[in-house]
Amino acid sequence: MFQLFTPIVDLIRAILSPITQQLLQFIPSDWLGSMPALTLVGFAVIALVVGIRWNPLPVSFIGVLVVTIEMIVLDPVSSFGGLFVRDAFSDFFIYIILIVGFLVLMSSTLHSGDQGPYNFLLLMSFAGAILVVTATDLIALFLAWELMSTPTYVLTALSPNRGAVDGATKYFVMGLMATTLMIFGIALVYGVTGQTSLSVLSSTVATIWSSGPGLSPAAYTLMLAMILFVISFGFKVGIFPGWMWVPDTYSTADGSVTSYLAGATKKAGVSALVRILMVAFIVARLSWAPLIVGVSILTMVIGNVLALAQRKIMRMLAYSSIAMMGYLMIGLAAGTELGVAAAFFQAFVHALMKTGAFILVWTISVRLARDVTYDDLAGLSQRAPLASAMFAVLMLALAGMPLTAGFWSKLILFQSAVEVGMWWLALIGLLNSVFSLGYYLRVLKYCYMIEPKDGSPLKLASVPVMAVVLCVVGVIAFFVFPGAILDYAIGAAAGIVVP
Amino acid sequence: MQILFAQQIIDMLPLGILPFMLILPLIASVIAYAVRGRAARILTLTVTVTELLLSFVLAMAINPAIISGDPNAGMKYLWNFVMGQIVSGGGSTELQIALGVDGISVAMIVLSNFVVMIATISSNHIHKSEGLYYALMLLLQVGLIGVFMSLDLIGFFIFWELVLIPMFFIIGRWGEEGCQHAAIKFFIYTHLGSAVMLVAFFVLYFVAVPHTFDMIALRSMGLPPMVQLGFALAVFMGAGVKLPVWPLHNWLPWAHVKAPTPGSVILAGILLKMGGYGFIRLGVWMVPDAFARLSIPLAVLAVFTCIYAAFTAMAQTDLKSMVAYTSINHMAWVLLGVAIGTATALQGAVYMMVSHGVIISVMFIVAGQLKYSAGSREIPQVKGLMVQAPRLASVFIFASFATFGLPGLSGFIAEALILFGSVKVYVWTALITLGVFLTVGYILWTLNRIVFSDANPEKPVTEAPWSDLIAPLITLIPVVILGVWPDLLLGLVSPVVSFIVGGVP
Repeated sequence: MFQLFTPIVDLIRAILSPITQQLLQFIPSDWLGSMPALTLVGFAVIALVVGIRWNPLPVSFIGVLVVTIEMIVLDPVSSFGGLFVRDAFSDFFIYIILIVGFLVLMSSTLHSGDQGPYNFLLLMSFAGAILVVTATDLIALFLAWELMSTPTYVLTALSPNRGAVDGATKYFVMGLMATTLMIFGIALVYGVTGQTSLSVLSSTVATIWSSGPGLSPAAYTLMLAMILFVISFGFKVGIFPGWMWVPDTYSTADGSVTSYLAGATKKAGVSALVRILMVAFIVARLSWAPLIVGVSILTMVIGNVLALAQRKIMRMLAYSSIAMMGYLMIGLAAGTELGVAAAFFQAFVHALMKTGAFILVWTISVRLARDVTYDDLAGLSQRAPLASAMFAVLMLALAGMPLTAGFWSKLILFQSAVEVGMWWLALIGLLNSVFSLGYYLRVLKYCYMIEPKDGSPLKLASVPVMAVVLCVVGVIAFFVFPGAILDYAIGAAAGIVVP
Repeated sequence: MQILFAQQIIDMLPLGILPFMLILPLIASVIAYAVRGRAARILTLTVTVTELLLSFVLAMAINPAIISGDPNAGMKYLWNFVMGQIVSGGGSTELQIALGVDGISVAMIVLSNFVVMIATISSNHIHKSEGLYYALMLLLQVGLIGVFMSLDLIGFFIFWELVLIPMFFIIGRWGEEGCQHAAIKFFIYTHLGSAVMLVAFFVLYFVAVPHTFDMIALRSMGLPPMVQLGFALAVFMGAGVKLPVWPLHNWLPWAHVKAPTPGSVILAGILLKMGGYGFIRLGVWMVPDAFARLSIPLAVLAVFTCIYAAFTAMAQTDLKSMVAYTSINHMAWVLLGVAIGTATALQGAVYMMVSHGVIISVMFIVAGQLKYSAGSREIPQVKGLMVQAPRLASVFIFASFATFGLPGLSGFIAEALILFGSVKVYVWTALITLGVFLTVGYILWTLNRIVFSDANPEKPVTEAPWSDLIAPLITLIPVVILGVWPDLLLGLVSPVVSFIVGGVP
């Protein structure tokens, strides 16, 4: 395994080490692992204050950059008495969140990026997401989860779209329900085992399961808790029982917030699910695997079938991201190291693809001042060649075609399913993937094959387009060098999956 | 034919000849998109001609003979590029593109470079977004020759799928009325076949010990018979859609008819051959035992497809549509050759692919030209071609004769080889000659209606300009050469075929 970025990381650490040494004296060692999140909270407050008078967006940018540097120079350690742990797994997801966060800030220049509260909420949510992926205790996880979710309820309502409050209300109400179920699940787990720490929990579960899951009532209670966790964390991920809010909220929210929801909070949900299933309940794998298989199949089918019926691009993308999470669940259902690594890789690639796609559609949408439908895309290749080409690449990536990283992510997911003998699940996934061409190709058809009604050039804002360019370059580059990310994904998976 | 000079040229190229041939059009594709307009056309012509010359050099340099016990199974000019590694469970798997060629691959590479060049020459009527068009054309070339070079299942699949993307745009953007629907149908249909094939690739990967996607290793591994059989059926799904075989052929008439002329040329000229090549490389080359078991059903399907397509072709009134069904008819011969699997039949199958690739290109160019010259492709509408457009008519007559396999032209040798091979094994496959009989019938009938009829003064036909006839005339050269000098191609193919028939070394 060669981890491509390691030399770069070492170089940056070496250059900055004098400053780091100086600063470390002022930081309590117990906080060290959570410094990225704490820094973001600090910058959020600064952005709020600055926003009273000036444009706070530069503060947010600096915040994200500083946190990235912190991530690089600080050793990955645990903090707050082991409640939050930075390991290979959480670092992988933190980088996803930071990358998405940076892209979202670039896209925020389009709309409402100059407002203090917007920046404050966004950065607070970033901090929450980072804490979610590092949390190793159910209570800490819950707190972090709320820190991540609450700002997004407000952010979705802040959108210029007329239906924004509708979408936000739906999101909020269903989010509350998910939270309640989560607390219920935590209470059940605590009631049965008296534990909330995930690693301790795993040994307790092992004892309970060793007597056979069919025998003890404790096992049944834990299984109910597992189902509740899948529902409540899956709510954010947008998988089967809790997917209904996704299209409404994604299509009405501010596009930057949508890309944040799709790119980052989804991934935080994935990481929470992985932590709970693969760390705490790993012994019970045979009990939850059928559940995840069912969730995965239903999610894929629902996402793909409903995406086909959409006329608005935002809604289509929302449904397609539901379907993508269905594919991701295949990796969890496989439950092996390869499967989890495939899921992580898919999480990364999906973050790039979907963030790019949402930002692009949002940019067009702001330019046209209405929801983008297929008809608005007609002849985009003549009106805005660059945007159209990028859109084509992103759609092909989502469809899993070669020359894009989306090809590898699907390939490895299906491979992981075949590895454990679930070739039928891989086949269902592949058929879904073929089915999904129905709507991805429609975008290409409108962009490239239909003449525009109004052939005048469409001038798009340059900073968000730059963000999309970054995504597209990433998507293509990681086709040629999937190893650059895959190695880290495998490393992250190896860290948590006990063979 | 090993010519020292050719080998010296190959040694001079950076990277090795195979990756060089892949990267050249890839880079040119980006440049063509950037420069646009007429410059893009000139660039594409230059690159495709260069590619053709390179593939001739390759054909001249390669030594097709295979020594028994060769660990590379006769593959030459090996090269690989590791894109990523999957390390899990103690083992590690490379996700890589591995390239290498043997005689059959070289023959197909020469064919595809030739057909792409012809398609580029015949693109002179394309004036809409030329930059994008030529960029896609070059990208298509990368995918096509990549398929014929790949020695790794994952790399093979990447190129196999890569072909769909530019083809989709070419059909949908530059095609005729209703082409968008045809493009989407083409894409989804072929992608579905590939999806089934991909699952089979994975199953094969996990059955193999040690786990590998390497085709040479898988070939010499001696896989369990049932796995081989399942894999063969999956290949039938994947390659059968491309070929196409009877129940899976539905996309073909749509895509061929609605595509622009160069698109049809490439579709019929090479894309179908990817199916035939898939059958040979993934089928009889990799899992020969399974194909021996499937011999009878495949042969029955081939004979049926041939006759069925011939009848359907007879019923078409659109010339392009008729030519499209003729392709199905001829590709059934390839399937028959593969199903029989003896040395003669397999040689015939490869010969058929090459010869059909060039002949059908002319037919499609003529059909496209008819639209410009006569304003219609409907067979009953066009009359008196011989009187009014003798040049176009001559090319058309010549190509038609080649299509139904006139002795002295390449199609005859292909059909004869396959028939000699197959009748020796199953006498009843002689039924396929009914297909030949019908083909001669409907083609002569078509000639009768279009070429040798009295001119209709209300619908005059203008003569095709020489600039439009360059492409078909060049294409007819190999038809004649291969018709009188079969050893030119068989010299490349026969060592590989006897290697396949000889079984696993």
